Amino acid sequence: MNTLLFNLLTPELILADAALVVLIAGLIPFTSSHRGMILSLTLLGGLLSGAWILTHPANYSLFGGMVVLDPLTQLAKVAVLALSLIACVFAYGSTVKEHFAEYLALILFSTIGMMLLVGTEDLLMIFIGLELTSIPLYLLTGYLKKSSTSAEAALKYFMVGGVSAAFLLFGLSLIYGVTGVTSLRELAAITRTTGTDPLLLAGIVMALAGFGFKVAAVPFHLWAPDVYEGAPTSSAALIASGSKVAGFLILAKFLTFGLAKTSGSAAWDLMQAGWLPLLALIAAASVVIGNLAALSQRNVKRILAYSAIAQSGYMLLGLTAANANGVASVLFYVIVYAATTLGAFGVVAIVEQRRGGSDLDHFDGLHRTSPGLALCMGIFMISLAGIPPLAGFFGKFYLFSGALGSVASVHDGSFGLLWLLIVAIVFNAVSLYYYVIVLKHVFVAPADDAPAHDRACHCGVSAFVGLLALAVVALGLYPNALLNPIQNAIRSAVANPAKALVAQP
Amino acid sequence: MLQILLAISAVLFCFGLLATLTRRNAILVLIGIELMLGAGNLNFIAFWKFSANPEALTGVMFAIFSIAIAAAEAAVGLAIVIQVHRRLHSVDVNQATQLKG
Repeated sequence: MNTLLFNLLTPELILADAALVVLIAGLIPFTSSHRGMILSLTLLGGLLSGAWILTHPANYSLFGGMVVLDPLTQLAKVAVLALSLIACVFAYGSTVKEHFAEYLALILFSTIGMMLLVGTEDLLMIFIGLELTSIPLYLLTGYLKKSSTSAEAALKYFMVGGVSAAFLLFGLSLIYGVTGVTSLRELAAITRTTGTDPLLLAGIVMALAGFGFKVAAVPFHLWAPDVYEGAPTSSAALIASGSKVAGFLILAKFLTFGLAKTSGSAAWDLMQAGWLPLLALIAAASVVIGNLAALSQRNVKRILAYSAIAQSGYMLLGLTAANANGVASVLFYVIVYAATTLGAFGVVAIVEQRRGGSDLDHFDGLHRTSPGLALCMGIFMISLAGIPPLAGFFGKFYLFSGALGSVASVHDGSFGLLWLLIVAIVFNAVSLYYYVIVLKHVFVAPADDAPAHDRACHCGVSAFVGLLALAVVALGLYPNALLNPIQNAIRSAVANPAKALVAQP
Repeated sequence: MLQILLAISAVLFCFGLLATLTRRNAILVLIGIELMLGAGNLNFIAFWKFSANPEALTGVMFAIFSIAIAAAEAAVGLAIVIQVHRRLHSVDVNQATQLKG
């Protein structure tokens, strides 16, 4: 066997081993009752895998781009790994009490899917990675055996996910049929010469349906509110963070690296057939419907779900820039967004444990009972609303300026995408309402006198919530700390493609 | 020949989509999803068979992997349907209305 093949896949292999060890630990009577021990085994595996990635910078690809390890994929792998591990910690303090080892193993399996997904430039691996990510997530959603809402959420998630996976497969088959290749780089070379074929466009549209499900964009968003509400909070946190980062990065690679020449134009006065008009439409619909539907919600998880739909709209808007800058701003924003929403779910998980629910009323007077958590929730909500100096503001700023700048450079200063930006900015103002409503319950509403269900400290979850809040503030003050590595990684992926390795038998 | 195969797969896909949209029984929706995935696989095989260089085996490889994935997905889907049946005593999709989406 070639050792190099092992080197390229070592992070995933470490995680797979860790998942198996955790599964076995869950079967041993002594360890299965020690949830802390199982959690530390999981974290150990994850940290080993992350350390391996960080200490082995590489720029190689295998099997014609099916497995790629370059600075960009390494950065994305570390990001999804960190998000998943924090979701594991949240699971420790959440409502998942039975079969804890299997739960963490499923999170690890899903993480392997995400890492393969971000680390590929091939349609086949994109499909496999998406499914490897989604299938454990269906199970994680339905994990609360005693809860009928959890089962119902899993059913809805699975059905929408299954249909969109079928759309994705059919779309990819059309793309393969027209071009005869599955590698994104070969695809880019072929579409550069052949131009836009109607069948190719049909394939791209159907594939977009599959990706749209993964990132919860309108009209493929209907599962999101139900899943966020019904699933265990840690599962919802993983779906909202890690799986979103992976989904957006691969969508950006698919469109910008693979199909740049079939983009068409979404400029107001100059619409051209391609994926850009469709993407612009999906982005506008997500921003409008997500923000409007969030206004009437009474449950914080559902508010976060609709906010996730709206935020997907902003990120799709960033993709309409259709250049490397756009990809950089989308990657920056999706990582910031994932950290923010993960922290918010951490706060929700603690409140749910202490007060027995996640309705707005359960957050009443949180600043009296736990001022630290209230402060963190404030930071997360304000960052999501996009108010400076927090990271969410700079993320949105890069997204919007990227989309505006790209079009200005294409046809001299006509600002064709301005209509989309105006929609986004107007509805961003609308979004402030429901974020502030959450803060009103946290800071202004008087505390209810109902006795707490659970007075445990939840120290681990609180610590990571605090850490995420700190990260959001720090990235707001020094956005370059994350933006520069992302830009360098993307520049290197464009200018200096990963060196192909031939696997020796 | 390629046209006939593509027409068959398109019809298959539409039947699957129709089943997922109109059927209320969760099992039948699952079957509809399988039909749609099958249509995609048929496309891959057809395009591979009539492609410029069938030696590359790309389409077949894609089909084999996606068959395996479809099987895993069906297993997970059935497990979820069983769980729903335990909680709601029904596999009717319309009965699953506790969460308003």
